[in-house]
Amino acid sequence: MRRVEHIMGFPISVDLRNGDPAAVDRAFEWLREVDARFSPFRADSEVSRLDRAEPAPNGLSPDLAHVLDLCDHYERATGGAFSARIPGRGLDPCAVVKGWAVQRAADLLAAAGSTSFVINAGGDVATSGGPWRVGVRHPLEADRYCTVLEVTSEAVATSARYERGNHILDARTGRPVTDLLSLTVVAPTLTVADATATAAFAMGVAGIEWAAEQEGCEVFAVDADHGVHRTAGLPVAGASVAGASVAG
Amino acid sequence: MKRAVPILLLTIAGLVPLWRFEAEPETVVAAPEAPAAAAPDTAAPDVSGTSQAPAASGAQTVTGSLISTKYGDVQVRLTYAGDQITAVTMVKQPNSGPTKMAVPVLVRETLDAQSADVDTVSGATTTSGAYVQSLQAAIDAKGD
Repeated sequence: MRRVEHIMGFPISVDLRNGDPAAVDRAFEWLREVDARFSPFRADSEVSRLDRAEPAPNGLSPDLAHVLDLCDHYERATGGAFSARIPGRGLDPCAVVKGWAVQRAADLLAAAGSTSFVINAGGDVATSGGPWRVGVRHPLEADRYCTVLEVTSEAVATSARYERGNHILDARTGRPVTDLLSLTVVAPTLTVADATATAAFAMGVAGIEWAAEQEGCEVFAVDADHGVHRTAGLPVAGASVAGASVAG
Repeated sequence: MKRAVPILLLTIAGLVPLWRFEAEPETVVAAPEAPAAAAPDTAAPDVSGTSQAPAASGAQTVTGSLISTKYGDVQVRLTYAGDQITAVTMVKQPNSGPTKMAVPVLVRETLDAQSADVDTVSGATTTSGAYVQSLQAAIDAKGD
């Protein structure tokens, strides 16, 4: 079964090939809960309340504490290029919340017995029971792919600067990153893939190598000069498409 | 544990080819139609010649300006079908020294990737508004 819902401002598609369809309901229910609890755009969310330093009745929830730990980890690991607390802006852990929440939705489907599914949350992909072919959107042409990956159960996340739309800031300077167009990370979980892609993008071109050094991560990146970078272990679909590779 | 990090930088800006000094042969992608001795690229579309513009398909060619590099002059010609680049040709390239030439790989990989049937699409966060006209929407609508 396939289902698409719009939550957190982006479309979330579930393509469930086996298992209990009711699990899809629970997965979407979880994602709506995440939106209510962690959105910085909702005044009554846990994140907004924390940002206003309002005391929570039962203290920080374990989920929010976990998310903040993840944010701190990536802030340290990127030397401050990535931050959930960019000066002059409110607390915004969205970059970490998204991957983490969708990975947990994937875990819910797996726990309910599904061994074959794809979740695509606004371009970030969690999979199980592939092979799944994942097209990576061309950074300059919205209707084309710049590469196609093939994964079995890995996650794929892309951070990019397209012609219009989102700009990722380097928290060290407060300025948008301009030397990268697109950076894609393949990792064992979407929690890692999404956070690594976002954090690496904030570092600019230096983030390509940084991401490649992260445990279990493979990287595909297009820089502002249209140079294509990729790690040797990147799971490009079809050997002929790979074109070139180097020994790792 | 840190792994060795073989990042492959294959292309350079503005269709200026990257000159890789003593590059490993397998890391280099040859031009589809280099007038000099580059190997033919079987993945590239079959275009009939740099001076010929196939009329029916609306194809057109654009020749870039001459660029001087430390290895010699470089000039690139692109063939378009509509807005899409279908071929990259070297008009001028140095023929001396152990240099190897790489076509803009973003173009080449794009050409290769289009024929692929995909299950899903990864990209920077698509807003719900942009989703309507996205590739992923088409995949979702297609059904099983």
